[in-house]
Amino acid sequence: MSKRIILGAVAILLVIAAAYAAFFIAPEERTMGLIQRIFYFHVASAWAGFSAFFLCFLGNLLYVWRRDQKYDWLAVSGAEVGLAFTTVVLITGPIWAHPVWGIWWTWDARLTSTFVLWLLYVSYLLLRTLVEEPDRRALLSSLFGIFAFLDVPLVFGAIRWWRTQHPQPVIMGGQGSGLDPTMKSVFFFSALAMHVLMIFLVAERYALEKMQTETDFLAREVEAQ
Amino acid sequence: MKNLDSVFAAYVVGWGVFFVFYLTIAKRTSNLRAELDRLKSSLPRAK
Amino acid sequence: MSLFSNTAVLLSKELRTEFRSRELLTTTVVFILVVLILFSFAISPTTEESREFGPGLLWLAILFAASLMLQPCFLREQSNDTLSSLRLAVSDPFSIFLAKLIANTLFLLLTELIMLPFFALFYNVPILPEIHWLVLVLFLGSLGISVAGTALSAISAQARMRELLLPLLLLPLLTPVLVVSATVTVSLFEREPIVKGKGIAFLAVFDVVFLTALWLFGEYLLEE
Repeated sequence: MSKRIILGAVAILLVIAAAYAAFFIAPEERTMGLIQRIFYFHVASAWAGFSAFFLCFLGNLLYVWRRDQKYDWLAVSGAEVGLAFTTVVLITGPIWAHPVWGIWWTWDARLTSTFVLWLLYVSYLLLRTLVEEPDRRALLSSLFGIFAFLDVPLVFGAIRWWRTQHPQPVIMGGQGSGLDPTMKSVFFFSALAMHVLMIFLVAERYALEKMQTETDFLAREVEAQ
Repeated sequence: MKNLDSVFAAYVVGWGVFFVFYLTIAKRTSNLRAELDRLKSSLPRAK
Repeated sequence: MSLFSNTAVLLSKELRTEFRSRELLTTTVVFILVVLILFSFAISPTTEESREFGPGLLWLAILFAASLMLQPCFLREQSNDTLSSLRLAVSDPFSIFLAKLIANTLFLLLTELIMLPFFALFYNVPILPEIHWLVLVLFLGSLGISVAGTALSAISAQARMRELLLPLLLLPLLTPVLVVSATVTVSLFEREPIVKGKGIAFLAVFDVVFLTALWLFGEYLLEE
C-alpha cells in the first residue's frame, strides 16, 4: 500500500518536472514554435501506451502458458492503462495538428495505426465484459489479445506503405532525422516520467482487479452458505 | 506566444484523462472495499 | 500424416453440410450484391470515381459479408454439441481449424467469383486484362479473412452477444487486409504494376503470421 503511494508521488513529481522541462528547458523549435512542446507529452504518452499494451501482451502469453490469474490481472491492467494513454495520444495529436496542418484529423499513418490499435484494445475490453466465467474470460481474452498484438505491426506496415507517405519519425527514424541534444534529453526524460506514471496506474489497476477477484470469490462463498 | 492556448489545452486535457482514469480506479476500489466489508461481515454470521 | 487425412475428412464434411443447403453461399452473395448497390446509391459515383472507389467498396463488402458468414462456423458445432466429439475424433485440433478455414476460404472465393462480373458491370471496371492477378489477390485476401475469422469465431461463439461481437473483434483486426487488398485492386485497374508484387507479398505475410498463430494457439481456443 505505502509502496504504491510512494510510486504515485514519484510519478506525479516526474510528470510535473517533465512538463517544466518541456516548457522552460527545451529550446524553441524553429518552424513550429511553441506548439512543438506538445511533442514531449504526446510522443512520450504514445511510447508509454505501447509499453502498457506490451505488458498486456506479456500477461496474455503468460496466462495461456501458466494459467495463473495473476497474469490475467496484469493483462487487463495493461490494456486499460494503455487505452488511457492512447486516448491522450489521440486527443493531443489533433490539438497539435490543427495549428500546424490546419486540420484536426488526417488519415496519416501513425495517427491511423494508433486509432486502429485503440479500437483493437477497446474490442479486447469489450470481449472481457461479454464472458461471464473468469477462467474462460481470461483464456479467450488472452488469445484475442495475442492475435491483436500480432496484428499491430501489420496494421502499421500496411498503413505506412500503402497510405500516404508522411514525415519520418524524428526519434530513431534512421538517417537525417535528429533532434537537438537538449530536446532529446528532455524527450527521454518525459518518456521516463510517462513510463513511471504508466507503471503506477497499472499497479493501481492490478490491485483493483485482484480485489475484484477476491470479492467475487467471497460472494460465491456467501451464496453457497 | 502563438498557439499557447493549444499547448495549454493539450496538457490540461492529457492530464485530465489520466486524472479521470485514476479517479475511476479509486472509485471502483472504494466500491469494492465496501462490498468486501459487507461480505466479510455477513460470512461469520452465516457460519 | 494424420493432420492431412483428418483435415480432408473434416473438410469434406464442411463442404457437404454447406452444399446440401447452400444457405451461406446464397445469403453471402445476395448480401454483397445489396451492399454494392447501396454503396453506389450512397455516393452516386461518376465513371472515374467508381473505378477509384469501387475496389475499396468491394473489399469492404467482402469484409462485412465474411464477418456474417463466419458467424455459424463454430456456433453450429456448439448448438449441436458436436465440438467435443470432434475434439476427441482428431489427434491434432489444428485440423479442425484447418478444415474450417479452407472451407471458409473456398466459400468466400466462390461468392467473390460470382460477384465479380456484377461488380465489373456496376462499377465499370475492366477486370479481364488482369484477371489472374485479381484472383490471386482475392485468394490471399480471403485466406487472411478466413484464418483470422475462423479463430475469432471460435472465441465469439463462447461469449454473449456473439452476433455483434464477431464483427467488432474481426473488422479492426482485418484493417491490414482491407488496406492492402483494396490498394492492390485499384492499382490493377489503373495498371500501376509497382504496388502489385509488394502488396501480394504483404498479404502472404499476413496469412502466414495468422496461420502460425492459429497453429500455435488454436488448441486453447477449443478447450472445454
